[in-house]
Amino acid sequence: MSSSRLCWPTPNGLPAPGPSAILAACVLLLVISASSVELDLVRLFNAIPRMLEFGGHLLVMPDWEYLPTLGVNMLQTIEMTFLATSIALIISLPLGVLAAANASPHPMVFHVTRNLLTLMRALPELVWALVFVSAVGLGPLPGIMALSFVTVGFMGKFFAESIEVIDLRQVEGVAAHGAGWLQLRTFAFFPQAFPDFVGTVMYILDHNLRAAAILGLVGAGGIGYDLVMAMRMFDYDRLLPIALSIYVVVTALDRLSDRFRRRLI
Amino acid sequence: MTAFEAVRPPLPKKPFNPTPVWLSGWLALLWVIIVDLDLSFETLMYGAEDIVEYFSRYSTPDFADLSRYVELLGQTLATAVWGSALAFVGAVLLAPLAARNLTPNATVYRIARETLNFMRAMPDLLLALIFVAALGLGPLPGALALGIHTAGFLGKFFSESLERVDGGVYEAVSATGASRLQVVMYAGWPSILREALGYTLYIFDRNVRMAAVLGLVGAGGIGLALHDTLRMFNYNESAALIIVILVTILIIDYLSTWLRGKLN
Amino acid sequence: MSKIIIRDVAKRYANGFEALKGVSAEIPAGSFTVILGPSGAGKSTLLRTINGLETPTSGSVQIGEHPVTHASLREVRSQVGMVFQHFNLVDRLSVMTNVLTGRLSHRSWLGSLLYLFQRCDMDIAHDALIRVGLTDKAWNRADKLSGGQQQRVGIARALAQQPRVILADEPVASLDPVTSEEIMGLLREICTRDGITIVVNLHQVEWAKRFADRVIGLNAGVVVYDGAASSLDRATLSRIYNRNGDQVDEQLETMLAYA
Repeated sequence: MSSSRLCWPTPNGLPAPGPSAILAACVLLLVISASSVELDLVRLFNAIPRMLEFGGHLLVMPDWEYLPTLGVNMLQTIEMTFLATSIALIISLPLGVLAAANASPHPMVFHVTRNLLTLMRALPELVWALVFVSAVGLGPLPGIMALSFVTVGFMGKFFAESIEVIDLRQVEGVAAHGAGWLQLRTFAFFPQAFPDFVGTVMYILDHNLRAAAILGLVGAGGIGYDLVMAMRMFDYDRLLPIALSIYVVVTALDRLSDRFRRRLI
Repeated sequence: MTAFEAVRPPLPKKPFNPTPVWLSGWLALLWVIIVDLDLSFETLMYGAEDIVEYFSRYSTPDFADLSRYVELLGQTLATAVWGSALAFVGAVLLAPLAARNLTPNATVYRIARETLNFMRAMPDLLLALIFVAALGLGPLPGALALGIHTAGFLGKFFSESLERVDGGVYEAVSATGASRLQVVMYAGWPSILREALGYTLYIFDRNVRMAAVLGLVGAGGIGLALHDTLRMFNYNESAALIIVILVTILIIDYLSTWLRGKLN
Repeated sequence: MSKIIIRDVAKRYANGFEALKGVSAEIPAGSFTVILGPSGAGKSTLLRTINGLETPTSGSVQIGEHPVTHASLREVRSQVGMVFQHFNLVDRLSVMTNVLTGRLSHRSWLGSLLYLFQRCDMDIAHDALIRVGLTDKAWNRADKLSGGQQQRVGIARALAQQPRVILADEPVASLDPVTSEEIMGLLREICTRDGITIVVNLHQVEWAKRFADRVIGLNAGVVVYDGAASSLDRATLSRIYNRNGDQVDEQLETMLAYA
């Protein structure tokens, strides 16, 4: 009774064309890029003992004297995040309006702003940090500049998208009573887009904290510098504390923003 | 004047509006931060002229080494591709365990959730540093670092999508005597396939940017070249590299947005 | 065989609510049983204890020789098909694939991982679709069908299991009267022709009288009637639908008028 000829649940018994095509394309992509990525299973296998050894090195007593400095630098990272996100928020609110198809004063302004925002977020923060460090020197300032710059690109885009999906009838209602251009945007557009704005800011804060943690790599402030130096100097007694403190802070922000979002919406 | 007009029924007491409090608190916090980080507006202003002059040094990009740049770019893209593939596999394995309505028990759920959180919290740069130390220089450690870090994000997205599927659908497949794995395969993934692909494209987009940057720690690709040229104050070549990176990211961005549009 | 024995089943939820208070019943093999009762009576809970979707706080359920326990869950469920009020189909999959999910308990994990089925599974699914009259929609996406058609897919899925028992939890509550009659008729026909034990939750008395052999009346977690459908009279219906000791209930009068 049991016929063991296997087949797929399609009219002709062969796998469905859509999913198969996607799968084939992905496999092809992987195969083509395998040599560029220097995929070498032997190398991977041989590295396992070194990884384990590394893991063992990490499990030492932390450098107690370093901990206060760690705290200060983590705090700096958090402050950079907060400040950069706030600056970006202030700039992105008007830019978001200009980049929203239904709120922008003129189609030319709309297109220019949209493209400007795209360019601003195209390069990763670290690249801008490299450039700004080169321009203004080491420290948190270039980091904040880089972070704000890229954040405006993202925030502006998200804000604009939130504004574009509001209910225009509510705007009509306010406009019918003779509201001016700015009043319209403040009292009819903004309140509707507000919940989305809050979500966006929370998400970006989360992202920026992680970004700020690595800007120090190029000397743009924050814990990233400590991290890279600890690796280079084989200061294993600092590595685990640094990694753990990043983990703790990032997770704390995660939970906080979840709770905040639930309360506000 | 009527008796009614003389005595207006009082309005209910106006509820306390915390907005001014939040706003001033926020501004105060910003002020404290600016002081603590020792940021001075003056340095920025004085620096402004220098900055303008500085950016003018990038005005003549030098594309002499373009072929090498393109090759490095290929490496960066390959890193992003493999990193994203690794992330996808990791996410597919962990997400059902981290979804409340699909996980076998509370312990597994907690462990899977925390693992994904951990993977997300560890900066990919740190992972890249570790893998470079273990595997040597090149794009492979970069791909591994990206894979592990973004698996955390993708896994969280996938598990949240799986949780949003109507519980009745899972129940129905379960009620036929199917195993947990079969419920996941037949009621879970098909229900969220569109969203899942959208998230994957988004993560790939993000990974292309990060791959460009991971080169800075020796994980191959175009980032390393940029680091070298900037360190040698070679502004013309740096400008060329930045333009190459920019164009690539813009193209990938455009493609991925287009693909996501087609998915919807 | 496919006799269902419910012994003193009680179900108490974490918040203290007692959905079932010691229910016992014996459902003979091959019969068509309808469970009637007002909302909140525990009909759904009772039905779901039969295939283990709810675990009784005390008491036991047995299907044929197999007691329904945690360990025997998958085995029991492969023999018990279920039809849901909201159809619960996987929207994005085709009708055929939805029906094939009824065969999953017979497939190896590796094969089902790859969406591979055996020829005989396909034939069984095909037969099920013929039975419910939906062969022309076999390759359509499940969510593109009407409510009545989707329910028929649900029934086909249950049939594909080649079950001994089919449970139906308010199968027609989301359907219009004409479609409801078709679905009830289909279930009755399956019972008569294939000898499958069918247990249906309903709140429409008229369907019970027309299609059921037996009726179990449930009220506030207790069995208040257990007998032939033909013996349903105003007195018994009052007992079943009696709420909070009200003797006169306007909705009750309307309902009885249809009976």
